[in-house]
Amino acid sequence: MKNWWRGLSRRTKVFVYLGAFLLVCIGTFFIPHGKKENFQAANEFILTPIIKLPKIGPVDLSINKAVLYLWGVVVIIVAASFYINRKLLHSDKEEPGRLQIILEGLYDLARNSISNSVMRVGADTWFPYVSAAFTFVLLLNFLGLIPLPVGEHGQLAFYAASGNLYVTITLAACTFFLSHYAGVKAKGGLGYVKGWMVKGAPPVMRQFIFGTHVLSEMFRLVSLSVRLFANMLAGHMLLAVLFAMTLLFQSYFFAGVFSVGSVVIYLFEVFVAAIQAFIFAILSAVYIGGAIEEEH
Amino acid sequence: MSNHAAQLIAAGLCFGPGVIGAGAGLGILIGHAIDSIARQPEMQNDIRTLMFIGIGIVEALALYAIVFGLILLYVVK
Repeated sequence: MKNWWRGLSRRTKVFVYLGAFLLVCIGTFFIPHGKKENFQAANEFILTPIIKLPKIGPVDLSINKAVLYLWGVVVIIVAASFYINRKLLHSDKEEPGRLQIILEGLYDLARNSISNSVMRVGADTWFPYVSAAFTFVLLLNFLGLIPLPVGEHGQLAFYAASGNLYVTITLAACTFFLSHYAGVKAKGGLGYVKGWMVKGAPPVMRQFIFGTHVLSEMFRLVSLSVRLFANMLAGHMLLAVLFAMTLLFQSYFFAGVFSVGSVVIYLFEVFVAAIQAFIFAILSAVYIGGAIEEEH
Repeated sequence: MSNHAAQLIAAGLCFGPGVIGAGAGLGILIGHAIDSIARQPEMQNDIRTLMFIGIGIVEALALYAIVFGLILLYVVK
């Protein structure tokens, strides 16, 4: 199959791509259409349980589409790990193929740009957590940009699982508790809390600096979670509004304009998804490294 | 003034001026990053990494304003 594809000329390949694109465009006429409703931008984020399970205290265990997206990312990571292992272990090529180059680029990004450049002391110990956070958030964000059949009546729709405050606050809580755990493990309980005080300051200022430091540590949880949540929420609402505006004006000119604009904003959303994963990972590394390192 | 009108005006006032500071901050940050890359092109990758960290932190402030505006629009009755 691969040899047949390589044997084609470039012109033929362009025609095949154009033909596939036209087929998809024409095929969209045959998708069964839903009923006419008023457009609400926030409809994407309403979660209805798909399989209802009982509540344990305040925690509702029902499975809705956010849960399915989270499980989907785990399945993708596990399956991709097995596939990559088999492919790279049993390849006897001289020079690295595309898969290896991409993966080595990602690993290099996580290892050198995130762990080694920011954490001075515990880079080797905490690299697994930082790279796991990076990969998880990256795949979660990217999965939100692929249309899957999770719409109200089973139609294709976008949904960002990281656009849910519960998901991001769980991820930020992992970083938060791990940073305090790392600090207590490295310096002992009292030594860690003493590290928040600045030594050579006048007495009243010392308490004030300590209080401000405690507040800023608590605020880290909020800021880390709300940053990811708000970026994904705002991005997807913008995409929903732009996609709807294509049809809302009932005019061919505006449909064309908004189609092009939607594609541009979609590409920007892909960029934002990657950046937010990177920032989440690198701020996790900064917080954990800041808790471990000695006084400056 | 009806409740709904007050809600809409409050949300608009939250969105608009909320992102002015972030716009100014991002402009200063990226401008300084470009200046320092122009001064020392061999440090490009490190400067670019730090610039992206700075962008993430500053944009989060604009997003707090947007999220609060959305809360005013959709959560408050």
